[in-house]
Amino acid sequence: MPKPTPSQTVGPFFARDLLWKDGGIVLFPGGGDRITLTGCVFDGNGAPIYDALFETWQADPSGKFPSGHDGARPYGYGRVSTDTEGHYAIETVKPGSFKGPGGETYAPQISVAIFARGLLKALHTRVFLAPIELIKDDPLARAIGDLERLRTLVATRDPNDPKIYRWDARLRGAGEAVFIEF
Amino acid sequence: MAETHSADVHPPYLYPDYKSTRLRAPAQPLVRVAPSPLEAAGPVFPKHFVSESEADLTTWGRSAPLGEKMVLVGRLLDEDGRPVRRALIEVWQANASGKYPHPVDDHDAPLDPNFLGKGQVLTDDEGRYRIVTVKPGAYPWQNHPFGWRPAHIHFSLFGNAYAQRLITQMFFPGDPLLAIDPIFQSVPEAGRKLLIADLDLEQGIEGVALGYRWDMVLRGPRATPMGV
Repeated sequence: MPKPTPSQTVGPFFARDLLWKDGGIVLFPGGGDRITLTGCVFDGNGAPIYDALFETWQADPSGKFPSGHDGARPYGYGRVSTDTEGHYAIETVKPGSFKGPGGETYAPQISVAIFARGLLKALHTRVFLAPIELIKDDPLARAIGDLERLRTLVATRDPNDPKIYRWDARLRGAGEAVFIEF
Repeated sequence: MAETHSADVHPPYLYPDYKSTRLRAPAQPLVRVAPSPLEAAGPVFPKHFVSESEADLTTWGRSAPLGEKMVLVGRLLDEDGRPVRRALIEVWQANASGKYPHPVDDHDAPLDPNFLGKGQVLTDDEGRYRIVTVKPGAYPWQNHPFGWRPAHIHFSLFGNAYAQRLITQMFFPGDPLLAIDPIFQSVPEAGRKLLIADLDLEQGIEGVALGYRWDMVLRGPRATPMGV
């Protein structure tokens, strides 16, 4: 069997090459209430990471996986870079829960990949868009076990605007988000 | 018990010789999970997402860019050796002087008005791709005294499943800077040669362009953690 090609960092010079116009607006064939997933990416000193590539992939509100495109861009996929404050924003629909092959239920979630200078491999994780007490049976929540660690993956709803979900990604140290490997 | 293949070839997150990893690498171990059924599917790019001309980085300007023209061919495969068909490959690179047209690139080398250094291509039904470009230059960086990055082309790969997503770099055979590059050296020895293209003159254009070949391998779309 051929060996997989090793990963390397995206480096600092991708911005002009990998960013798309409106890459932060995630398309779906159906309607659905629009929400925004937004927050910041921080390093081990709590400093904002201003040169990360932030990608998302998710189901639609009924839990159906996107398959196809609108003629110009794929459905269900978002791609932005962080700005000078480490800030990102993805405008999308709220994903529904879905079933796994063994009948297990995946809670409403967005799969996130973070690439950056200093990251020799992508950081993968899943951000939950449901209160922590409603996600405990999710396969990743079960694999994590510890509630405090699980909390690092739960987006919080803005009290002033229920359409806004906030999720900060701390890559290292205090409050470090859980990252996954497949 | 079978060993994971990925552990053999991928770099660690923390590689202190590459300074930027020190504050960005997670300190906690990663949680191992099978790809969700969502992650076993992936974005579908329309055919017209890529135009044919985007595979030739030398035709972007009004005239030819400076540098050593080259043709790069190869195949995109999965770990079972099957072609990954109609998958998006994005590339970006420095120009022949080792300069990126990017605001944070402070290397005092000339931009080339005829070279943007950005391209993309979809693999064909056999997983093949072909791009035409110029060989990128090496360039200095601030990681350590007298540090220079070896010539490289950045690759962003999608495969047919979100869990296959890979960003990497391709290097050139015989480059003495590979030995002093912590980014390349972060890859375990068994994986390093997988990042180096082969000279393949007949894939070039006689009297015009050098030929190189580089195959890439993505994890199987349905791969689950091995040994679990």
